This record gives sequence, C-alpha cells and structure tokens, in this order.
Amino acid sequence: MTAVIDQQVVRTEPRSRFHEVWRIVRLHAVTPSVFFGIPWIILGGAWLVMVVIGIIAGGAGADVEKMGEGMRYSWAVLSPQWYLVAVGVQAIGLTLSFALGFGATRRDFWLGTSLMFGIVSVLNAIAIATLVQLEKATDGWWLGIAMFDALWYGQQGWVVDFYTTLAFQLFVLFIGASVTTVYMRWRMRGMMILMFGTVALVLAVVAIATFAESWPAIFEWFADLGTVGVFSIVLGLAALFAVGGYLVIRRATPR
Amino acid sequence: MTRTVVRARGLTKRYGSFTAVDSVDFTLEENRIYGLLGRNGAGKTTVMQMLTGQLFPDGGELDVFGRAPAEHADVLRRICFIAESQRYPDSFKPVHVFKAAPWFFEHWDAEFAERLVHDFRLPLNRYVKKLSRGQLSAVGVIVGLASRAPLTFFDEPYLGLDAVARQIFYDRLLEDYAEHPRTIVLSTHLIDEVANLLEHLLVIDQGRILLDRDADEVRGSATTVAGARATVDAFVADRAVIGRERIGGLASVTIDERLNQADRVRAAEIGLELAPVSLQQLIVHMTGTDLRADQTEQEVAA
Repeated sequence: MTAVIDQQVVRTEPRSRFHEVWRIVRLHAVTPSVFFGIPWIILGGAWLVMVVIGIIAGGAGADVEKMGEGMRYSWAVLSPQWYLVAVGVQAIGLTLSFALGFGATRRDFWLGTSLMFGIVSVLNAIAIATLVQLEKATDGWWLGIAMFDALWYGQQGWVVDFYTTLAFQLFVLFIGASVTTVYMRWRMRGMMILMFGTVALVLAVVAIATFAESWPAIFEWFADLGTVGVFSIVLGLAALFAVGGYLVIRRATPR
Repeated sequence: MTRTVVRARGLTKRYGSFTAVDSVDFTLEENRIYGLLGRNGAGKTTVMQMLTGQLFPDGGELDVFGRAPAEHADVLRRICFIAESQRYPDSFKPVHVFKAAPWFFEHWDAEFAERLVHDFRLPLNRYVKKLSRGQLSAVGVIVGLASRAPLTFFDEPYLGLDAVARQIFYDRLLEDYAEHPRTIVLSTHLIDEVANLLEHLLVIDQGRILLDRDADEVRGSATTVAGARATVDAFVADRAVIGRERIGGLASVTIDERLNQADRVRAAEIGLELAPVSLQQLIVHMTGTDLRADQTEQEVAA
C-alpha cells in the first residue's frame, strides 16, 4: 500500500461567497417557467375569464357599477399564490437534492433560494401594484371589471399595494419551502409532529380565547392594525419561516 | 508522491437499529481509479453520500481534502457525485443540467460534454422524468466525465446502458483520465466489465469492508482447484478456502492464494485441475450468502 502522507491538498483560490449563492438563484431561474411563466399564465387566465364575464354582462345590459362592486370580493388576483406554495415546496423537495449532487452547501442553497424568493416577490409586487393602478385608470379595462382592484387592493395607493403583495408573496413561498425542510430533515415523522403540533397550538389558542371571552378584543385589535399592520405581521411570519428553514435545512439530507 | 484525498476512520452510519455502514476504515489516494464493489444494499451509496457531504456520519472520522466534507464549500466544489437515484427538478431537461453544470464545476468542459451527448445519443430536450433508465444514467455519466472534478464518483453508472454505450463510457473515461488525472470511484456490481479499469478495489458487504487491495494483487490471486473430492480436500487442507462446491465425488474449491510452480506441478501430478478466478467470481465467493457463516471469510476480510 502507498504510504499515507499527511499533507493537505493545497486549496485553490476561494471564490466569493456571493458567487456560490448567486449560482443557486441561476439554478432556480434556469427553467423560468416555474417562478415566472406559470404564475403569470394562471393570472392571465383568471384575467381573461373576468374579461369574458365583463363582456357578457355588459352585452346583457347588466348594471356595470354593481358588477364591479361584486367583483371586488373575487380572489382572482390571488390565484397564482396557491401554485407558488407548491413552487416553494418543490424548490426544496427536488432542487435541493439536485444542488447537493452538484456540490452546493445547504447554507448557500437556502441563502440563494431566499434571494430568489425575494427577487420574485419584488417583481410580482411591482407588477401587481402597477396593474391595480392601470385597472383603475382604464376604468376596469374599459369593461368595468375589478380583478386587481379587489379585496384590500386599490384603496391606499401603489406603495401599500406593493408592500402587501411583497409581504404575502414572501409568506407564501417561505411557508412552502420551510415546511418542506422539515420533511427533508426528519421525513414523515417530522411532518406528523409538525402537523399535530400546529393543530394542537391552534386549538389551544382558540380555547383560551373562547374561555377568556377575548374574541371581541382580538377582532378589535386586528381592525385597529389596518391593512398595513396586518401585512406587517404576515411579513414577520415570512421572516420567521425563513430563519426556521435555514436552521432546519442545515442538517437536511437528499431523498 | 501520492497524496491522500479521503481518509475514513471508524466511519459509521445508522438508520434506527440498522447499521448501513459499520465502522469502516479506508483511504483514497490522489489520481487513482477505485472500484467500490458489493451487492445491492451493501452500503456503497451510503459511503459515497457521506464522502460527498450529502449524509452526516453517525460516528468515526472523515477527512476529504483535509476536512469534513459536509457543508464545506471548498471541499464540495472539487467533488462530483451524481447518485444512481439522483433527483432532478420536475421542469428539468438534460439541457438544463448541462447549462447549470459549469456554475458548479470549475473544470467543466462544455465541448467534451457536447461530444458525449452525441456519443450517447441523449435527447437534450426531453424532460428528465421522461428519460429511460439508460438515458438517465447517461446524464450522470456525462456530468461525471465533463466536470473533471478532482474527486469524481460514479454510482452504478451503467444501469440501463446498452453494450455500446458502456464501451463508450469505458473508453472515454480512460482517455480523459490519461489526459486529466483525477481520483475516480466507480461503484458497481457489474464487476468483470470494469475489472481492467480499476486500480484499487474496495469490497463492501453488509456495511463492512471485506477487501481493500490493489487490483493487480487481487487479479490471479485466487485459484479454483477441481478434482476428486478427497484429493482436493487434501491439497487445500492448509490453505485459505473462500469457496467450496461438491457434486458427488467431485469437488471444486476456491482458495485465496497464488500457487507457486511447485504447487502447480504437484497438483498436475495428482490429477487436479487449476483455473484462475475472475474478479467477479472472487467477489461472489466473498460476499455470497452461502458462506456467511464460514470462518474462512473472516480471514479474508482481515
């Protein structure tokens, strides 16, 4: 046998950390349909349905004013969000295994994935907030429909719409991703404990609030928060999931 | 001067009460081709997953390029490991795999990859999940070859590859290894086909290393002695027997020993037939279940 020589292999030049994180962003973006294409196809599809409804209603001589009012309660503007939860899940469930095979560290993978989530959320927030303004300016795409100018949107200006979309988008992506890190680290047992733990926690909170008869106070507190306040809580939760995911993924193993 | 690339001491991995890798010791030297051989479930993939930082060991010490591999970017970027069961994102086609590869492997040779894609007739624009088993193996083989990583693992690289594709793999591997020496670990159970490629053998069974020897030493080290039962038994009496078959009054015994000229002459005189044992037969003898209780196997392992 060859003699074992105690000598470390010379390390080559360390590349900057940013390069290692940025390549994860590029990896997520190498098939742009996942983060950009499909969500906008879903949103575009929903918009098309609204337009068709608008044309039919307008043609039938319905009260366009009232139709617009009704449409404010439609959730069409949020339609891509459920898909983006799945994107968050797959980013960890499949792309992590692939990136580990290519020699990425879990740390860089999570940082890169978070950066990708940030970029996607900012872009979507700009687009949605702008579309709200466009819809208002064109009086519902000249048909009186209200797809983007719905729910809490379109009431407090572009900045609030941008901020709320950003917060919600980050929340949706990080909840999917961080819950999946639990699976990647502890598999089914971890998921079960997480699920039952969450259910138990929710029930406990409901029980306490009910017995203490504090529901009116809670509703009042939420009402006082206003739109921006509520979405600041959502943003805080997103940050919590981001930090939690980072801690959990450090010892996750590929499937 | 050879440098040690990997050093494992008492490396262990447990899954609950099952010990997948049981306190193994071995080293890998720079610029050699290793065969990691063993049956399905012997622990080959688990060893490679620990060496590449994908799994965390439960015990022992592991140094790869001087430090523990897991979560160390400066170690991992010199390693290429496409697992046999490698998962790919659903939206991926081979073209995406090869597009992303240079971001992760600094020695990536895109031209070489292109040539290999052509050689293996790999459809670049088909979803990875729609590829056949052989095409999926080709993706891993191409990444492994074109990445030119200083430490490259091939995990069952020819699963589903046809004979032509396998030959292409051996040829390209040897050509490229001659030009760009690196440490290569081939895990497989198709032993005879790669026997001539391998420089050093690690045979693993039930999570333990059974054999850790140069391939040249192992080749021709074992002999099968066949003939009348009593004569054979007498001839092999003091030798390390690793396999024994009996049919009626005839016996065929495999011994882990290179016979000298005197032995050969004596064997011929008493009417025994001698035959060389292929690497594959040798490993079948060492890892076959029929011999599990046999004491001689422990001698071989030691």
